[in-house]
Amino acid sequence: MFPASDRGFSRRDTALFAGCMLLAVTALFTPDRITSAIATGLRQTVLAPLVWLQEQAEAGRGSRARLKSLLAERDSAAFAAQFLPSLTAENERLRALLGLSHRLRTPYVAAEVLHQAQVTDARMLLLSVGQADGVASFDPIVAPEGLVGVIWNAGQHTSVAMTWAHPEFRVSAFTANGSAYGIVAASPNATGSDAYLEFRGVPYRDSVVAGTVVLSSGLGGVYPKGIPIGTVMGVIREEAGWARVYRVRPAANPASTGHVLVLIGRRVGSVGEAFSSDTLEPSPRSDSMKVERRPRPAPPRATAPVPAVRPKADSTKAVPESTARPRPDSILRSPRPPRASPDSARPDSTP
Amino acid sequence: MSARNGRVQLVAVLVTLVLLHFYIRPRLFDGRLAPDFLLFALVIFAMRSGPGAGAVAGFLVGLATDALSPARFGAATLADTIVGYAAAWGRAVFFADNLLVNAGFVAAGLWVRDLIMLVASGTPQGQLLLELGVYSPLQALTTAAAGAFVLYAFRQWFAVRLDA
Repeated sequence: MFPASDRGFSRRDTALFAGCMLLAVTALFTPDRITSAIATGLRQTVLAPLVWLQEQAEAGRGSRARLKSLLAERDSAAFAAQFLPSLTAENERLRALLGLSHRLRTPYVAAEVLHQAQVTDARMLLLSVGQADGVASFDPIVAPEGLVGVIWNAGQHTSVAMTWAHPEFRVSAFTANGSAYGIVAASPNATGSDAYLEFRGVPYRDSVVAGTVVLSSGLGGVYPKGIPIGTVMGVIREEAGWARVYRVRPAANPASTGHVLVLIGRRVGSVGEAFSSDTLEPSPRSDSMKVERRPRPAPPRATAPVPAVRPKADSTKAVPESTARPRPDSILRSPRPPRASPDSARPDSTP
Repeated sequence: MSARNGRVQLVAVLVTLVLLHFYIRPRLFDGRLAPDFLLFALVIFAMRSGPGAGAVAGFLVGLATDALSPARFGAATLADTIVGYAAAWGRAVFFADNLLVNAGFVAAGLWVRDLIMLVASGTPQGQLLLELGVYSPLQALTTAAAGAFVLYAFRQWFAVRLDA
């Protein structure tokens, strides 16, 4: 039997409490560089069995649901595989005709989110992959719905991720129709399930209608271009009369995400094709940007030329040649390959 | 029964709680309202040890929490140290062998832990109020209920009284 202790307070107790408090406050104000090293060291040594235990639990929990899903996918894949060779050949022909490069493939690793029963869980996540899997700091994290966050610190077998809900999270973004650029950050006024993002620094002249999808722009080199971030809900406020801040409903919810993908390796130009088309508007073509560069009517209150803050032209140039869509006039100038017969492209025409 | 046996029993329950936290909780519960077995283990250990041991245990539990989910490294360490010390202090004031008092300690400890963590990690005011007003009380209830169940199951070991 081990009842509640009747021992009173002693100087030793007070000294222990004071020492622990001192260490805790010191940890609170220690630079991130040192604390992240301590946290990583703890996860790799003392806490490694506990992390392993939780990984097993998460894997066990999702196994039954994944089995059903996998069986359904296998059946669908087996059905689709019957048409795969002819479809691949058709795709190659059509891409050759249009002068398009192959679809980009971004290397990634799948990770399980090890949720903690903490009040700050949605801001920082523990992932079941680390440096041994090729994960490094500043690797983007995506869910099927869109951007989740970025790797903050990668250990050997686990890593800590900063989600978009973290107050220090920032991502350069643009609207799917290419009409506005800005910075997306977590809203300081958001609460719990009502958490939302802010699309900041959008020039006053560039109005964004509600329902517009916001994507990562690729500027800065951390996030590839084209990851869905969220959907514009409306204007929150105006900043000094030159920019608007829009409310954005996040595409992915870190608190309820069980599995994520960490994009590793060299950054590619765009990953927009990897996300489902029903939540994503077509990415801006270079020719459509050209059209949008028409002179716009000046804002009524503008008395001086507004500085050009939209990096449209530069960002278009910055896209690697292999990923940039060809200009319509270049297609016209190039010698046209002979048009394939419509029948030859049909899968049922193959013997 | 000797004090040594009592300690062995306490350690057995604490290990069970750690296993519950890291292996059973992710399988059974989802989301923010899942019971926090680590905090429950900390509170019952502190109440049955002493203020100094409670503070050290809180420091270690907080350090582990910070390593696993460092919203602001040190926030959980600070919070759990205070909760561990306060739980040991509280048993001197209240009837610590009563089941409901133990459950109440756990609920209050979790809410205070969340309060300190949220403040120390620089949470915006709106989110802080929602967390402390809605989610933390609900998680405190689930944790207290789970804790009461565990205490009831091991009532012989902990000499817990069931009467009011």
